[in-house]
Amino acid sequence: MNFLDIIALAWRNLRQSKLRTALTVIGVIVGVAAIVTLVSLGLGLQQNILGQALSKLDVFTLISVRGANVDALLELNEGRTLLDGGEGVNKEKANGAGDAAGANGNESGNSNEGTQNDGNQKPFPRLPRRVLNDETIAEIQKLKGVKYALPMVSFGTFVRFNDRVKYIWIGGAPAHVEDISRFNVFLAGHPFSSDDAREVIIDEDFLALFSAKWYQDRRAGKPRNDGPWRKGPTKSEAERAADAQQVIGKDLVLLTPHSNEDAPTSIFGIPILAQPETEIEPGPDAENDRRFEQHRFRIVGVLPSEEGFRVTPLANARMIVPLEVAKHFQQTNRNPIERIGEALAGDTGYQLAEVRVSTPMQVKPTMDQIDKMGFRTFSINNQLEEINRIFLIVNSTLALIGGIALLVATFGISNTMIMSIRERTREIGIMKAIGGSDGEIMRIFFVEASLIGLTGGTLGVIGGWAIDRVANRMANQWIIKQAAQTIRHIEFFSIPWYLAGGAILFALLVSLVAAIYPALSAARVDPIKALRYE
Amino acid sequence: MAILEARNVTREYRMSAETVQALSNISLTIERKEFVALLGSSGSGKSTLLNLFGGLDRPTSGEILFDEQSLEPLSSWEMSRYRLQRVGMIFQSFNLIPTMTARENVSLALAFAGLSKSERRKRSLELLERVGLSHRAGHRPSELSGGEQQRVAIARAIANEPRVLLADEPTGNLDSNRAAEVIGLLNDMRERDDKTVVMVTHDQELAKNYATRVIRLKDGKIVSNQ
Repeated sequence: MNFLDIIALAWRNLRQSKLRTALTVIGVIVGVAAIVTLVSLGLGLQQNILGQALSKLDVFTLISVRGANVDALLELNEGRTLLDGGEGVNKEKANGAGDAAGANGNESGNSNEGTQNDGNQKPFPRLPRRVLNDETIAEIQKLKGVKYALPMVSFGTFVRFNDRVKYIWIGGAPAHVEDISRFNVFLAGHPFSSDDAREVIIDEDFLALFSAKWYQDRRAGKPRNDGPWRKGPTKSEAERAADAQQVIGKDLVLLTPHSNEDAPTSIFGIPILAQPETEIEPGPDAENDRRFEQHRFRIVGVLPSEEGFRVTPLANARMIVPLEVAKHFQQTNRNPIERIGEALAGDTGYQLAEVRVSTPMQVKPTMDQIDKMGFRTFSINNQLEEINRIFLIVNSTLALIGGIALLVATFGISNTMIMSIRERTREIGIMKAIGGSDGEIMRIFFVEASLIGLTGGTLGVIGGWAIDRVANRMANQWIIKQAAQTIRHIEFFSIPWYLAGGAILFALLVSLVAAIYPALSAARVDPIKALRYE
Repeated sequence: MAILEARNVTREYRMSAETVQALSNISLTIERKEFVALLGSSGSGKSTLLNLFGGLDRPTSGEILFDEQSLEPLSSWEMSRYRLQRVGMIFQSFNLIPTMTARENVSLALAFAGLSKSERRKRSLELLERVGLSHRAGHRPSELSGGEQQRVAIARAIANEPRVLLADEPTGNLDSNRAAEVIGLLNDMRERDDKTVVMVTHDQELAKNYATRVIRLKDGKIVSNQ
């Protein structure tokens, strides 16, 4: 029999008992809708998280480098401090072949000789062995494929602007900002004129923080417009640029503690830059002036605020000062505990450096090289793999759970078919008697089952989509809005083509499997017995 | 030149502990254009023999031959083709599919032979024409009289132009007028369309009036054959 005729016959058979067919199909719809809804939730969340992280594509060429801190240095020396004979790590060879100082108690204080250990022993492989400082950063800068290596210098302090004072986290950046993505677009103004100028670059959020509206909102109890899912800007680009232009040339004031007399005048032999002139602002209360210093800076640039997750330290800083200024401030803002650490283990330089490479291909080899130099590296790629692996497990589990519903539907299909065959035993006998083959009979039943599977699968995908829409609307309306009125609409669900297609195919497959036993028993009907059947 | 032959055919059934011999080592031949009546009481094996000729069953031993070719080596699929194209069967209870119209019932046999929809439409009408029922083509069996139903069954049986018509008590559920009509039709087909007819019946009158040969069976054995 032609395949089209088999389909027509199967379709006709299904229509004979409309209610029974419909109920069976509904079973499949529920099963498929369950799978689609659950998996689309998992995929949607994955999209959201990864999408946020990937919205700035430059994360693919970014490497974070961590140098040794006080803890690491003490660990490397097995708990021995500089004062009792442990070694600092100032003398690491540039090619990184040397090991961290072993348990060598012969030298004391700041020895200038490297120790030779047998080259095979590499103790403490998970610790950074070297300190990130200007010297080592320059080494990294020389590596192949590296566009820039920037130390991450940041500190927090109080800032007075617009007659208001706030605690602000401040980062440092050089004057030469080519390739640093944070500075790709300026709403107004320009980069620093030099690495130690008395200038600042701020971002839009900074302006918002110091605005009258900010305080109005806080008084009214509104939540802050913060976080990766916060509402985007409402004004046009031109308006924002105009607003930004207003503040160019204005001054703000940094408040800092008085400089310590014993603040180092040189770091690793490189003399610190001449102290910037401190200006003491005559304030309303003369008392205050003696407890802190005030430093005036000019605003030379305004940056737009970063959307989504802020992955780099520069992105998190609302205000940026020139690198040397930041370094100096960080030095003078050391707290007493940090100074103890310095005495115990030596100067630990920068904790973090940001390294940008030219292409994503370059990331792994460069990371390996920096690792060999004795640092610890990190790039989002590691985390992405990790995240994707986790989501694979999550999504598979969700699919499995949804699959349970479909499994139940499978039994429904089998049951329907078996009952159908029992009722149509005589009909099967007739068909065989007039010349229908066993194979053709089987095919008819397989097609009947497939029609149930395909119909149920397709309607199930549509149903799952519909449920997603409703659930998404409810989630956005009730959950999100309650939590924070300022968050924009979030899409929790994602139904890519392979989910829809896969679900339908799976339903088809499942229905065919359900039909195996019934179809085989139909094929084995003995026409003589069947014709005697009442 | 026998169109159908049974050679030393035995058909046994296992019924719990016992074995029943429906047919015991029978042999017979049927020639072209004969009208053979298989006569006998219940349990004589006449229907069993017809089923063997019809390819619905296989003998326990011995062979059935169609046109001098043994049915024994045929696969299950080949047997279904034999039933489709070589022989056509009609039954006492008509065995039409109740949810299909007369036309659809006839078309079903054509569909199994692979004819397209348009071919089937044309041919099924022709066949119903042959049995004088083209005006009832769109009716379901429940809307047809017994005689009409049997004629639809005949149209279906000849759909793929078999050489042999096998009829298992075709008039059992019909009154004498209708019965005569049906047998008359079968005979007509034998004479005009060169068909061979083998009919199982327990109606001696009918056998006497129409058959060219009557074969009596009793307890699975041939008693007379003339």
